[in-house]
Parts: sequence; structure tokens; C-alpha cells
Amino acid sequence: MTAGAVDRFRAMGCDVAVAGGDRATVAGVLERWEAAFSLFRPASELSRVNRSPARVLAVSPLFARALNVALDVAAETDGLVDPTLCGGWPDVVVTGRLLSRPPGLALDLNGVVKSLAVDEAVATLTGPGFVSVGGDLAVREPVDVALPHDGAIRVVAGGLATSGTATRGAHLVDTATGRQSESCWEQVTASGATCLAADVAAKAGFLLGERGPGWLDERGVPGRFVGVSGAILENDAWAAGTRAVQTCT
Amino acid sequence: MKKDSRIESARRRARTAKTAVGALSVLVFGVAFVGAKVHAPGHAKGKATPLGAPSSFERKVRESVAQGGQIAPAVQPPPVASSTS
Repeated sequence: MTAGAVDRFRAMGCDVAVAGGDRATVAGVLERWEAAFSLFRPASELSRVNRSPARVLAVSPLFARALNVALDVAAETDGLVDPTLCGGWPDVVVTGRLLSRPPGLALDLNGVVKSLAVDEAVATLTGPGFVSVGGDLAVREPVDVALPHDGAIRVVAGGLATSGTATRGAHLVDTATGRQSESCWEQVTASGATCLAADVAAKAGFLLGERGPGWLDERGVPGRFVGVSGAILENDAWAAGTRAVQTCT
Repeated sequence: MKKDSRIESARRRARTAKTAVGALSVLVFGVAFVGAKVHAPGHAKGKATPLGAPSSFERKVRESVAQGGQIAPAVQPPPVASSTS
């Protein structure tokens, strides 16, 4: 259980921790995603797509894959996690490698790119271990993880992600209003079958406010909610997962 | 009379030859058409189906977007933390 050394470095603007794999390989995977999707790099494919006035344009297979996932996530969350940040996701169509969208409609794939990169990076591990990028992680063995506002959890399989306003301030956009989200939560941590599933669940749980715990429970997704007052709420799935196993004596 | 019968028989031979050439052409065309349909990769043998992953695979991927992971109580000092970034 993470008996091996943990390698730490910076990538995608975040602290990265890797156990059980080759640092250079993981760094290469993360750099490939960063080079394609960073909005801070003018030469990234996402920046070039957003600058293009064309209605239809050809994109790389990686871009098409990420955008397809982002559109699936938007459909699954009823537009809560939206790659257009303005409710315009139904007008975005990807057919093979052809992207069609209304001219001037900018895309932001931040909602899925980091977690997709983590899922791809963890697949490169040669043995048991984990990959964590900025606190979003995927595991190949049970790993104990510290949680916001104290406490820890063992991630047995899949991924864990936290969303909220604690580090970067209000950066999650409520697509219903087009404004920064005013959630009643400061941070939401969710466990998913993959890092992507965990990240989507954490973002949706955060954006849904008071409806978040129930929404995650309906899907059997464990979620832990830290309110703006610091109070912690665990949904039923989280409480069931973390309940200590009773041993018969 | 003899001349007429020679012309007549020549016409008969010409008609027979034309019929034979026509039939042979239709036969060659038919064999080539069927052969191309069965063997040439550019000729569809069945109904066209869309390229891409099977719908069952796409459904599975969509399902995993909202699937919970497995968690348990921690038992060791955590080597990593989950936080907003």
C-alpha cells in the first residue's frame, strides 16, 4: 500500500505525486494534455480552436476524444458541467474529427482535461500505485488520502477529486446564470469509478448546492461536503463506505 | 434463285453470330458484375453501418461518468491529500 517512494514534481500548474510508475512517462502524458488544452498557451490546440472564426474545423483525435467526453458529461449533469460555460453545449457537435459549433462560441475543457490526464497517467503505471495531480487522484492499489479540513479516507479503487472555492476562489461557473457559482459549499470531495467520474461528481455536487448530497446518493457516488462555515456533511454513500467494519469476537 | 439462297444463308449466319456475340457480352458483364460485388472491397455486400465504437461501448463509457468509487476507513498516515487546485 504505497510502500514505494512517492515522486513529487510540478505539472499542469499543480503539484503532482506519483507512486508505482515512471516519473518521466507520467510527466510526458500530463505535458501532452497541457500542450493541447491549456488556455494559457496561445499555441495550444484549444486556444487555436477558440481563435478560429470557422464554424466547422478539423481537430486532433485527442481533442475530439476530450470534447466528446465533455459533451457526455454535460448531458449526464444536465449542463451543470458545460464545456461552453454558457449553456451552449447542445450546439457543439463532434463527428469523427470534425468539430462544428456556432462561430465565436469558445470552449473550456478544464472540467474534464485534468481528470482525463490523471486516468491516462495511472494507466501507464507498471505496478500498484497512484497518480495525483493537484489533489485529483486515481489509484491502482488502496491508498490513504488526507481530506480537506482534517480527516483521511482510504481510496480502495477508482479515483477521488475535490472541487470548490478554497484555493482558487470562485472559479466554477453556474451555467444557469452564467455567473460565478454561489454554492453553499466551500469544498466537495467525491469518489468515482475513475478520476473523471470523481471530478465530475465533485463539481456537480458543488454546483448543485443543497441538492448536491442527494444527487450523488441517487447515483451511488460517495460525497463529502464542507460548508462555508466549516461544517462537514457526508452523504449516505460516503458514510456507508467509511463505516468501520465490525468484527465478531 | 441460287444467288438468293446464298444471300439468305449469309444473313442467317450473320444473325446467329450477332446473337452469339450479344449473349456472350451479357454473360461476361453478368459474371464480372457478380464477381466485383462479391470480391472487390470497394463494393458493399451488405447494408452500410456507421464507423466508430459500438453503441454498447459508448453506453458503458457514459455510465462510468456517474459511477461511484470504492472507499474505506483510512488505516495509515496518508501519503497524499485531496484538495481543490
